[in-house]
Amino acid sequence: MASATQAAIFGSLFAAPLHTKPRSVTIRIRASKSSNPPIVGRKLRAAVIGAGPAGSSAAEALAAGGVECFLFERSPSGAKPCGGAIPLCMLDEFDIPARLIDRHVTRMRIFSPSNLAVDFGKTLQPNEFIAMLRREVLDSFLRDRAQSRGASLISGLVTSLEIPTSSHAPYVVHYSKDSARHALAVDVVIGADGANSRVAKSIKAGSYACAIAFQERIKLTDDKMEYYEDLAEMYVGNDVSPDFYAWVFPKCDHVAVGTGTVCSKQDIKVFQRAIRARANAKISGGKVIKVEAHPIPEHPRPTRVRGRVALIGDAAGYVTKCSGEGIYFAAKSGRMCGEAIIKASEGGERMINEDDLKREYLKVWDAKYITTFRFLDLLQKVFYGSDAAREALVELCGDEYVQRMTFESYLYKKLADGNRWEDAKMVFNTVGSLMRCNILGKKMEGLKL
Amino acid sequence: MSISMALLSPSTHLPSLSPSSYPKPLLTLKPYLSLRPKSPLFTTKASAENGAGAPGSAATAVEAEPKVREPAEPVAVKSGSSGEANGSAGPAAEVEVVSLFEDARWVNGTWDLKQFEKSGKTDWDAVIDAEARRRKWLQDNPESSSNDNPILFDTSIVPWWAWVKRYHLPEAELLNGRAAMVGFFSAYLVDSLTGVGLVDQMGNFFCKTLLFVAVAGVLLIRKNEDVENLRKLLDETTFYDKQWQATWQDETPGNPK
Repeated sequence: MASATQAAIFGSLFAAPLHTKPRSVTIRIRASKSSNPPIVGRKLRAAVIGAGPAGSSAAEALAAGGVECFLFERSPSGAKPCGGAIPLCMLDEFDIPARLIDRHVTRMRIFSPSNLAVDFGKTLQPNEFIAMLRREVLDSFLRDRAQSRGASLISGLVTSLEIPTSSHAPYVVHYSKDSARHALAVDVVIGADGANSRVAKSIKAGSYACAIAFQERIKLTDDKMEYYEDLAEMYVGNDVSPDFYAWVFPKCDHVAVGTGTVCSKQDIKVFQRAIRARANAKISGGKVIKVEAHPIPEHPRPTRVRGRVALIGDAAGYVTKCSGEGIYFAAKSGRMCGEAIIKASEGGERMINEDDLKREYLKVWDAKYITTFRFLDLLQKVFYGSDAAREALVELCGDEYVQRMTFESYLYKKLADGNRWEDAKMVFNTVGSLMRCNILGKKMEGLKL
Repeated sequence: MSISMALLSPSTHLPSLSPSSYPKPLLTLKPYLSLRPKSPLFTTKASAENGAGAPGSAATAVEAEPKVREPAEPVAVKSGSSGEANGSAGPAAEVEVVSLFEDARWVNGTWDLKQFEKSGKTDWDAVIDAEARRRKWLQDNPESSSNDNPILFDTSIVPWWAWVKRYHLPEAELLNGRAAMVGFFSAYLVDSLTGVGLVDQMGNFFCKTLLFVAVAGVLLIRKNEDVENLRKLLDETTFYDKQWQATWQDETPGNPK
């Protein structure tokens, strides 16, 4: 009798490990009300590390939903090196007031390696434009709004995040403020601290490949600045970047001339010289007022949610390929993460767990945007690989249908509804252009050898 | 932070952007090329000049020399295309500060098709060759874009049949020939092994699959490198997706929450 039960126990002990190691990923989706324990006597506490567009949007959503939110920022008045372009849908969705916008860019010019220039923007409606803002202006507006909703802003540097050892113990955020060390216990942490995220390091989220974006802010003479009144320029070519593009973007009273690369970071200065040479006629005589550089993530981190810590924005790696756009996705992911926490905790009343974060935030985010990201990755692979492909890209951009589709997808972040016939023509022209330019490319190789 | 610090320190000595601070490319063209030591173009050019093959290096050496001395004149001494009607004996080189691409037939940012006429019709092959040479020149000597001399030529100006005749048809002939040989010998082999004739083979599902594989193989694998390239392509297309799904793979049971 005893041996039989002993055998049964041993049998179940051996069987148990086999059952708890699933080969396939299982996500338990509970459609019924949450089975998390309710919090007594206080609301759920959340810490948002980093108060850029991502962190501020998350803090705003959390505070508006009733969660006690602490927003950490190490340099509230910092000016981030950034293109500063945001799409129209961001102005609507995040209620950005018009007074923050420095410029309305309605024309875009792309230059191929052989300087074939195409004017983008013929299809824009009068009320459509790309808004150019100063990051410090946008960031402080979003931060102030989060504060007015009830988030507590803490100007301090987060030094480390203590991971709890038991399932409902709090996370402890260690930070230094006014040269003193402090600690804050919270239930949920949102990491919005950018490309070198400390939160990501604390939860061992893994690293990602980064591009480096390098730019110089140049003050031009008035007549030259007039040319860039509402025009932004993009340059492609192996001389200016082997796997990205170089740009001349107008800012409030100067232009930002820069370039980026993933694979040849050590040559970035050479590429910068090359873009200055390419745009020479239009920017000569200008004075360099600032030089800045910043890493841009190329793809999401291997882990974006662990325990009750979620990563958003650049910390998670939500930057599209091909265009390098990150501001909208940062703000949107912040808001979605904040709303996910509100929903899972039922307004701050209940504790949440990792599954809640994955189900309400990651799953929703991936479902909504993975196609966009995949498509832009495909475009980058096809068109940024070689000079021949870049020539084909610029040729294609001359077509009005392509321009309309591109702008609509960019401005509204929705798959623009096109015409089947025009789509087919576009695909046909794409293949044709790529083939012709590749033929020329092969001939060029022949000339070299 | 550290990246920006490292990059900011050397460049604080570059206050202004006056044109005189640029190296004068005509007189110092070689040093200009050497500013980019890691550029693959420079290194392969160097290897070509080191005598990869006698005629080859002579060709590039001759081709390179005029480019240095007279940047205004790309010499069309021994061009591949036989149909070059007019030798490009353009104007003598003017010493300019900026070396631009110049050719007698390149007018106002596009190729003057009238200068490419051969027996009354435009010689598209010569246009394609000239454009390839221009792009190669620009690859080595990138030009500044300017609003005064916009580039207007793009490859869609050359009609589709010119491309087909020159590039598609020879390749098509090659591939069709391969397919025919593979097909004939497979049909013979299957017939000798199973006794099933050609017409009856086409009715069999397995044979139809083999036919499909043979056609696909002939189309996709044209050179030895294609096998490796296709595998790399497959990896590349799925790589980004794998990076996105990585967060969903991370199910480590027993992790304290």
